[in-house]
Amino acid sequence: MRVSALRLHQFRCFGSLSCELGEGVNLFTGDNAQGKTSLVESICVLLRLQSPRTSSSSDLAQFGADAFGIRAILDGERELSHSWQAGKRRLALDGSPCRKSGDYLEASGLVVWMGNEDIQLVRGAGDSRRRYLDFAASQLYPDYRPALLAYEKALRSRNFLLKRDASPNWRQIDAYSGVLIRHGEIVIRRRSELVSQLQPWAAEAHTHVGGSRETLAISYVSGSGSSFTQSLAESQPEELRRRVTVVGPHRDDLQLLIDGRSAGQYASEGQQRTVALSLKLAQARLLQERRQTMPIILVDDIFGELDPGRRNALLSYLPAAAQKMITTTHLNWLDSNGGALSSAARFHVHAGEVVRIS
Amino acid sequence: MRRVGYPAEIVDLISHLKRLPGIGPKSAERIAIWLLRAKGEFAFEFSGAIRSAKEQVAFCRFCGFFASGQDGCDFCNDPDRNTECICVVEQPTDMLPIERTGAFRGHYHSLGGKISPLDNIGPDELRIDSLVQRIKNGEVNEIILAVGSDVEGEATASFLADHLKRIDLGRPLAITRIAQGMPAGGGLESADELTLFRALDGRRSL
Ligand SMILES: [Zn+2]
Repeated sequence: MRVSALRLHQFRCFGSLSCELGEGVNLFTGDNAQGKTSLVESICVLLRLQSPRTSSSSDLAQFGADAFGIRAILDGERELSHSWQAGKRRLALDGSPCRKSGDYLEASGLVVWMGNEDIQLVRGAGDSRRRYLDFAASQLYPDYRPALLAYEKALRSRNFLLKRDASPNWRQIDAYSGVLIRHGEIVIRRRSELVSQLQPWAAEAHTHVGGSRETLAISYVSGSGSSFTQSLAESQPEELRRRVTVVGPHRDDLQLLIDGRSAGQYASEGQQRTVALSLKLAQARLLQERRQTMPIILVDDIFGELDPGRRNALLSYLPAAAQKMITTTHLNWLDSNGGALSSAARFHVHAGEVVRIS
Repeated sequence: MRRVGYPAEIVDLISHLKRLPGIGPKSAERIAIWLLRAKGEFAFEFSGAIRSAKEQVAFCRFCGFFASGQDGCDFCNDPDRNTECICVVEQPTDMLPIERTGAFRGHYHSLGGKISPLDNIGPDELRIDSLVQRIKNGEVNEIILAVGSDVEGEATASFLADHLKRIDLGRPLAITRIAQGMPAGGGLESADELTLFRALDGRRSL
């Protein structure tokens, strides 16, 4: 998949921007806080309707504005448009409004985002890993996102009811339990399927990028035991005490082991970065294999953090045919990687302006 | 120099029109001017129609549909309808789409909303007691829950099914839910006739 003819309106630091993207590697250089990350972020927001940096659309509008717009052409034929104004999102495909975000996402492109904050996948709390699974699963399984959204909504209502009354109204709470279980089971099934499909790719990427004999093993850790229905019923005394739903996919996790030891606890920073990269590379490979199309790869500022060995290994492992948007602050590493990036379209980003330099 | 605008009466009319659903400031202005220039008695007839609809029409005290006067609505007063079956919907506007499918000839009951704790709408805010009364007083033996398939609709159906099963009737009461396939997250209003027809046909027991 390819995006071209990117247009931004009042998005982050860009008042108005028009950028012709190259088909292969696109390199964006420039100092910090000039807009490189925002530019790449806009592609993610356009294609997947979410940002890896914020969950609030109002953060995406230029300072002082209450609206933003993003447009681009996908695969040279389909125009995607995502705009937002005063709390309302508007989507369009080829100029016709698209009311259902599911239809829009189905017609949109696949994305892998790789950023510096990915290390939180290894070090951080479970929610970073769940977000990773959600982002990948939404692109693989059409039933995933609707189930996840419904699950989250039911969970909010159920938790609200658990807290609201001095003595919880179980008949009302149970009206939500069934809804929670029905949607939660789809989320659980898909996440577990996803992790077992990611596992071989993650292990392979880890060997390639890490360049050592250590083995990465990833596994799905259910937050609801072997039966959600049963766990939920059994958790009632604890729910009564803590006034919150204590079992369910919102407590899921992804276990990351290097040679059988927890990567979050025992690995060095370098090893943790390799694990995080491996998860993202596995996502790229799985999307490519399962959807029979190449995802667009967005790489935000991670090359500066990697030693030359890992950098080269990563560059050579990224799917060669995929369109890539890569941001970087330092150029010193670039020229030693002339081979992989010699044909890249280079852009300089400065104060919200983007200029093609080669 | 002072900026000149419309006279106060027109400004007032525009500000009312702006509050209508789907009417922005430009449309409101256009409609206001159009009304003033409309030929004959149109503007007076129009305001009279609004007044009499507002004064005469109320919700039917039995089923919650729109009715003029106190004696129930056209559904409740239709002697040819099947009195053994009640189709429960969220809003009175959900009845006509089901009616148009021709697949249902029973009575209706509007809840006036759906359970939504985050919006402070609980079972007590819905017309559940009057539904229970109708079931107890009549010869109802089937309740079809035709609420939406979004999260609140599902929770409402689940709560109602549980609630109605607890009524001590002394006769069997079947509780069914129309089949899934309703627009996700949408109410009945947005469903097309064929989808609704199939949904009614494929209802399942709860
Ligand atoms: Zn009536």
